[in-house]
Amino acid sequence: MALKLTMDDTAYALDIESLRPELKVEIDGRKRSVIDEGTRDGFRIIEIDGRHFEFSQARDGNRVFLRLGGRNWIIDLIDPRDAAGEAGNATDEIRAPMPGAVVTVHKEAGSDVKHGETVLTIESMKLQTNLVSPRDGIIASFLKSVDDTFEKDEVIVTLETEASDA
Amino acid sequence: MRRIQSAINTASPDFRQNRDHYRRLVAELHEKQSTARHARPERDIARLERQGKMLPRERVEKLLDPGTPFLELSTLAANMDYEGESPGASIITGIGIVSGREVIIHADDSSIKGGAWYPLSVKKIIRCLDIALENHLPVIHLCDSAGGFLPLQSEVFPDRHMAGRIFRNQCLLSKAGIKQLSLVFGQCTAGGAYIPGLSDYNVIVRGTGAVFLGGPPLVKAATGEEVGVEELGGADMHTSVSGTCDYPAASEEEAIAIGREIVAQWDRPQKWACQREEPADPYYDPEELYGILPDDIKKGFDIREVIARIVDGSRFHEYQPNYGTTLVCGFANIWGWKVGILGNNGVLFNDSSLKGAHFMELCNQNNTPLVFLQNITGYMIGQAYERRGITKDGAKMIMAQTCSRVPKFTVMCHGSFGAGNYGMCGRAFDGRFLFGWPGHQIGVMGGEQATNTLADVKIAQMRRNGETFDPEVIEELRETTQSAYLEQLSAYYSTSQIWDDGILDPVDTRNALGMAITSSLNAPLGDSGYGVFRF
Repeated sequence: MALKLTMDDTAYALDIESLRPELKVEIDGRKRSVIDEGTRDGFRIIEIDGRHFEFSQARDGNRVFLRLGGRNWIIDLIDPRDAAGEAGNATDEIRAPMPGAVVTVHKEAGSDVKHGETVLTIESMKLQTNLVSPRDGIIASFLKSVDDTFEKDEVIVTLETEASDA
Repeated sequence: MRRIQSAINTASPDFRQNRDHYRRLVAELHEKQSTARHARPERDIARLERQGKMLPRERVEKLLDPGTPFLELSTLAANMDYEGESPGASIITGIGIVSGREVIIHADDSSIKGGAWYPLSVKKIIRCLDIALENHLPVIHLCDSAGGFLPLQSEVFPDRHMAGRIFRNQCLLSKAGIKQLSLVFGQCTAGGAYIPGLSDYNVIVRGTGAVFLGGPPLVKAATGEEVGVEELGGADMHTSVSGTCDYPAASEEEAIAIGREIVAQWDRPQKWACQREEPADPYYDPEELYGILPDDIKKGFDIREVIARIVDGSRFHEYQPNYGTTLVCGFANIWGWKVGILGNNGVLFNDSSLKGAHFMELCNQNNTPLVFLQNITGYMIGQAYERRGITKDGAKMIMAQTCSRVPKFTVMCHGSFGAGNYGMCGRAFDGRFLFGWPGHQIGVMGGEQATNTLADVKIAQMRRNGETFDPEVIEELRETTQSAYLEQLSAYYSTSQIWDDGILDPVDTRNALGMAITSSLNAPLGDSGYGVFRF
């Protein structure tokens, strides 16, 4: 299994090759073997390639605080799904998730929007819903204004097409 | 599992406005709860003191293991009934720990009219025993009731879900091996005598406790026999002569101590092996819920923001994130327990209904309890949706939900209108526990729609009868129906009728669900299988 983490902002890739009888791990292309030697005085002791290290750690979600060699380190474990990002979902349009009418327009054409920012509020079946921007960008145009009605899946707002990398 | 990325800006004017609004609602809730628990006329407190009795809540407190949580249920039952004369429906119920065992407690509140049972008192006791049956929780009854409230006896005594049901449930509990202990602090007369009589164990306090089918005045009227309380049904008679009671106690304190020792002998039920991970607090502060919940029933919000403030580490594995997006489904952990969550993000469409049904089937296959977070205005209506079969897709969701074998839990977060209430495990669907938030509303339709519908019917009626159309009359009708209807939509009306197991401060939801899920695992999973899905 491959793990990605940052240690004090430096990125590392780890590949665990085996857990038993000892941990064999490849870190950025170098193979290491790690032996757990238990705890002493509240510190955990491990042997890496013949050298002994004492450390203690505390975990908060995906962040690990490490005390090692008289220093504190911050390690962030990177979730592969977070690393993959949301790129696949970003489109140039905001479509109506349900039929209804526009209640409030919060932005105007030409203005900047952030991913997740409310662009307009619609009402359907007596429930108001905020429609948010699918990505960071600039609003190209509103195809509906306040009190206009629309069908499900109708395009209500378009974003300016992003310049491609090519 | 990934952490939900909250999009809430806690500095925004909307957030602040919502937060201030919800803080007021929560302050009102705490005040109502405190009044229902503690505000009693001086003379009632003095009477208990004179009799050498503790206040009912002191008994509960002394019975529970020190420093352990107590999940009180339906604190505000009857708050809008009987002109407020029966706070908490004169009954205290809740789940707690006694001698290291999870139990459910039913305590008569003798600080209100001698603990007489109102119709809703009976409903609350029956609900308590239903919870015991469904979740295999032992019951401890703290008996001190004058009996049925006579002026309302017709609503207390005869029907299927009235007083007889209490004793029927007691028998079924015992048959199922779910233990019951009664501590008799006051007189248990007539039907009330069967509570200790049908308990597997009971303790009776000398001098104040008594058990008999008819008290001394009734005996004298019926047969002319003159007999005192102690000789007729006191502690010494029942524990040494009749064998109706097991242990005499010299005082209430001793009765509680004996009771705790009895519970300490009980075996512990084996919980079924629900998947569990190391619990973690939510990453996002649950207090932010106040700013997320809108100040208007019509305004929507992203239910993921609520999930993020209830589940472990705010982590959520969302199922089908891009399909049927008005129903958010996914896996998370609460107090470490793996749960499947269904939360509303708008009206239920064909695709969202099918997604919900499919997700519930996955949870049943995977032995994962279900948590429903309701904010629902209903299933989508209109020709296009009927032609696509919205009714049969909604029916599939209701079928999957009703036939689920895993325990179900429901929280009424905001709106609960129309058939959406059914699909999302409303009260009729035997979820193990159902809690409401103080701002929620429940009804067959929203207040505005109902008022307009009723006004339209009235106008049509006036036209048919050839009456002159008077807009003032219509306006007045509109106003009176609206205020009556709105009152019935409120969370307080709902909890008054025991349509739920209590109103929660939203920040307590995680712990209430945690305790509820933990309790539910005592009972084995239900039978697999569903009825016929209409395709």
